[in-house]
Amino acid sequence: MNITEIMRLLQFTDSTFPVGTFSFSNGLETAGFENIVTDKETLHAFAKSQAVQAAFTDGIAALAAHRAFLSGDYDKIVEADKTLILCKMNDEARQMLKRMGKKLGELAVRLFDSEIAKKWLEDIKNDQTPGTYPVAQGIAFAAAGISEEDLFSSHQYGVVNMVLSAALRCVRVSHYDTQEILYSMSSEVKDLYDRVKVMGVNEMNAFFPELDILASLHEKGNMRMFMN
Amino acid sequence: MAFDYQLRETTSSSSKIPEVDFSHCSEMAPYLDEPQAMYVGAPGKHGYLRLGFEIDPRGKCILRDLDRRAPLIVQQALYFDKEMPEMPCVYILSSGGPNVEGDRYQQDIYLKKDAFAFVTTGAATKLAEMTHNYSGLIQNITLDEGSYLEFMPEPVYPCKHTRFISDTTIKVHPTATLFYSEIFMGGRKYYGEGELFEYDILSVCSHAERPDGTPLFREKFIIDPKMQNPRQLGIMGDYDVFANVIVLTPKEDADKIYEATEPFIDRENKLACGITHLPNDSGLLFKVLGMEPGPVKKVVRDFLDKVRRTVKSRPLPEEFPWR
Repeated sequence: MNITEIMRLLQFTDSTFPVGTFSFSNGLETAGFENIVTDKETLHAFAKSQAVQAAFTDGIAALAAHRAFLSGDYDKIVEADKTLILCKMNDEARQMLKRMGKKLGELAVRLFDSEIAKKWLEDIKNDQTPGTYPVAQGIAFAAAGISEEDLFSSHQYGVVNMVLSAALRCVRVSHYDTQEILYSMSSEVKDLYDRVKVMGVNEMNAFFPELDILASLHEKGNMRMFMN
Repeated sequence: MAFDYQLRETTSSSSKIPEVDFSHCSEMAPYLDEPQAMYVGAPGKHGYLRLGFEIDPRGKCILRDLDRRAPLIVQQALYFDKEMPEMPCVYILSSGGPNVEGDRYQQDIYLKKDAFAFVTTGAATKLAEMTHNYSGLIQNITLDEGSYLEFMPEPVYPCKHTRFISDTTIKVHPTATLFYSEIFMGGRKYYGEGELFEYDILSVCSHAERPDGTPLFREKFIIDPKMQNPRQLGIMGDYDVFANVIVLTPKEDADKIYEATEPFIDRENKLACGITHLPNDSGLLFKVLGMEPGPVKKVVRDFLDKVRRTVKSRPLPEEFPWR
């Protein structure tokens, strides 16, 4: 990885990257309110579940889009996009992925001279494809010359960092706690990548019923510091 | 004049039984070795069931088409629902006891225009301890225009080292309604010292499409306790029982049911449920977590009551005391 690629990886992974990650808590707000996530230990477990859930859905779609971009196979990009939305069972999660995906798609056509990025954004606007964030990440990282392994790292970092940033505002934890959790979880990403990289889009799966119920309570509840 | 529009039963051994094979699913790759006893799909281990419901010329909804292979058994439709006495109710039974290694089952259920039915199992489905191979189930559910199916089997009990996979394909007309529930126990909770999440793998996939092939949603969950501890916060946490309910119904009814259903976490009774909209305005997904099958089943039945009241303007009768 050369210095330019590292700079671009940092740029696309930064929490200030303008796709709106700051406004989502992934159900953490409700988990805090229900006394399910109350401290560093429970936050760590919650973040782990979020990371694994995302790896076997969003992660698979992101890798598929990255590979499809590099091989110039636009249909495979759309296939990954549509399959991911079919597998996203939570309404607010679908909204989040589509909102962030479109924002990154708009940014991508400015950053890259790419016909695929242009066509994908056009298809989002014409309701021909859902426009999910992981697929946008796959396109953007491939267009920027960043490897799929680094894409997966960025995807995982984004998921975990989103939860931990929200935790600072709705769980009794410190910056030290969240950084220790992040540091610890980073060492587990390689194993996740090795499991996910061999899976096709038709193998997406998720079993996180407690997270689903928390998301549902948030979706129908009155707590609105964050979207889900 | 004799009335001959009745149950058309096919049990001849000559009709072809569909193959049930999951060897293409990577999660089952460690479990493809042949059983040492009866081979995969041997007679008695390759169950098949086809149930077809339709409205007969008198206007009565009947079980018109029935095909069955051991160990799956359906004898006849009963009309025991006192709130919908016109609705055929079917118990699926298994003469083989638990599902064992190398078992392959297929269940095809279809409802023709405006038909309605209630399908359940006679008892809990036990998934036996396995040392070789796995047990697999394919289901095809097809709902024509205006039809209505309540599919609510008793809970599934996986044992230590159970390997089970299922794939359910749903084809649903935009005007039809499907209530499809599954209740999974963590295991034989009170067997010996207690046996929870000691199975090898449960892989469950449900996906739906419109009659023209337009996909609606695809939910797959793989529970592999050795790979990922189900006790982790966010998965099962401290809960032992999980119910998954898919409701496919027109958007107008789905919105009413959604509004009428409150998710909750009852910390005292350790019971929780949640609801959300499925993709493509196809319906709702309802999930329940609890400690024992009884309370979980009650939450599922209460939800079915809401669905039935919304779609059929009828309540659900009280559960039989022996169920």
